[in-house]
Amino acid sequence: MTLQLLISGISLGSVYALIAVGFAIVFSILRFSNFAHGGMISACAFIGYFFQASFETPPPFYVTVLFTAVCGVVMALFIDTIAYRRIRKKQAPTLYYFLASITIAILIEQILSVFFGKNLYGYPQIFESTTFYIGSIRFSSIDTLILVVSLVILTVLLFVINKTRIGLAIRAVAIDPATSRLMGINSDVVIITVFAIAGALAGISGVLLGTKYSVYPSLGASMMIKGFIASVIGGLGSLSGAIPAAILLGVVEIFLTYWLGSLATPIVLFGIMLVFLAIRPEGISGKFAKDKV
Amino acid sequence: MGSILQIQGLKVFYGVHEAVCGVDMDIQEGSITAIIGSNGAGKTTIIKAISGAVKHEGTILCRGVPLPPRENRVVRQGIVQVPEGRKIFAGLTVEENLRTGAYTVRGRREIDRLLQEQYEMFPRLRERRQQDAGTLSGGEQQMLAICRGLMAKPKILMLDEPSLGLAPVVVNDVFRNIRRIRDEGITVILVEQNAKKSLGICDYAYVIETGRVVMSGTGEEMLQNPEVAAAYLGSSRK
Repeated sequence: MTLQLLISGISLGSVYALIAVGFAIVFSILRFSNFAHGGMISACAFIGYFFQASFETPPPFYVTVLFTAVCGVVMALFIDTIAYRRIRKKQAPTLYYFLASITIAILIEQILSVFFGKNLYGYPQIFESTTFYIGSIRFSSIDTLILVVSLVILTVLLFVINKTRIGLAIRAVAIDPATSRLMGINSDVVIITVFAIAGALAGISGVLLGTKYSVYPSLGASMMIKGFIASVIGGLGSLSGAIPAAILLGVVEIFLTYWLGSLATPIVLFGIMLVFLAIRPEGISGKFAKDKV
Repeated sequence: MGSILQIQGLKVFYGVHEAVCGVDMDIQEGSITAIIGSNGAGKTTIIKAISGAVKHEGTILCRGVPLPPRENRVVRQGIVQVPEGRKIFAGLTVEENLRTGAYTVRGRREIDRLLQEQYEMFPRLRERRQQDAGTLSGGEQQMLAICRGLMAKPKILMLDEPSLGLAPVVVNDVFRNIRRIRDEGITVILVEQNAKKSLGICDYAYVIETGRVVMSGTGEEMLQNPEVAAAYLGSSRK
């Protein structure tokens, strides 16, 4: 049982990692917590659902994931254009970003509620059997799928960030935007790339969460809180801190739910976040201790 | 040879405050041009205007062509600024810092060649290339900042206070390397408070006071000039 809980926890944590990383990458560049991320997750979960449901025989899962990722990118760039770009051009305080992102998050959730608020939408079954066995150990098919997809995405993302030219530019701008520009780095391109990455991550995590749970308008908001906790514990804006923190969070959540039930668990999780903020506000990674919004 | 950068009637305002009030300069290709003056005279603002980091009035022409008004496009024109205080990226390794400098350079092989060039010039950087650049000493960070600038294959390298906060021995090292960079054919614009040292190595110098050029001439002439001596060489003249 312990092993199954552990795998289930890692699987859940890996989705939190996708959310936390999408959150952290925007924070690292623009120094604000992009709460619109939750709205995008909900919207993408619906998009993925209707995409799959629109076929007689559902397309392979990876097609849905890719399609939704692209929709996430488009949505993120659109939100950036209508809500954030003007704030940037005017070099307004970070607080304006914060307000704009909360507004967008609420807006998306309410629009979804108006149209789809009455029902819960369940993704069509992907697997014929919900569990499979390796030896005598039983695994959940959907948890395993989520784990594999998340790990692949995270690996690709870490490769892009650590090994490519644009990844280096993103890290440089996160450290010092003014000096990065003196290196010839176009900070507008970096910002757009970061929103595109965050959008793709929101899209993918939306589909994964939609297949695990059912789809409802506040799905993203409730999940994003977990991503937020993870990125606070990892150190806001730190990708290397967010991933282990998110996986840890997933494991802790699953075990706590098993022991304490699903009602008491969030209380403990938020308690952990508060303790972290009190004793180690810079998070596991120790970066970006300041400028928390 | 000949002129590579012409500045005419350069003005920069910070709000209502006029930081640079009508500066003319003519930078010769392959030379070291020093811009000296006291703190707050407007030296840094002049090169920030060239870099496109601050808005300005007046014209800045590179071989007769106006410079674009954005930093990333100025770098693509081969004009690179090494900022004051070194501003290396702490948290990135030494080699990653160098690679950010080559952001505008295309081709993996070309970037590797440029890396080798820097490592040959400063073997210390090769030894520490996988190390967090934030852990380097002040002198090493300055070398890294200069090499990072050279990674962009500049025609003109602008150095802002490269001697700031460094031990005298290290300062000598930095100035020797500035001369070496000039000898490789790169035009150097050197902004310095250390007037004596920079006049010693420069080919031409401008003295800036409250946003204006008050004197200019060859380094030799400036060193001999009694007014310069009184105002800027002061205690260091022995």
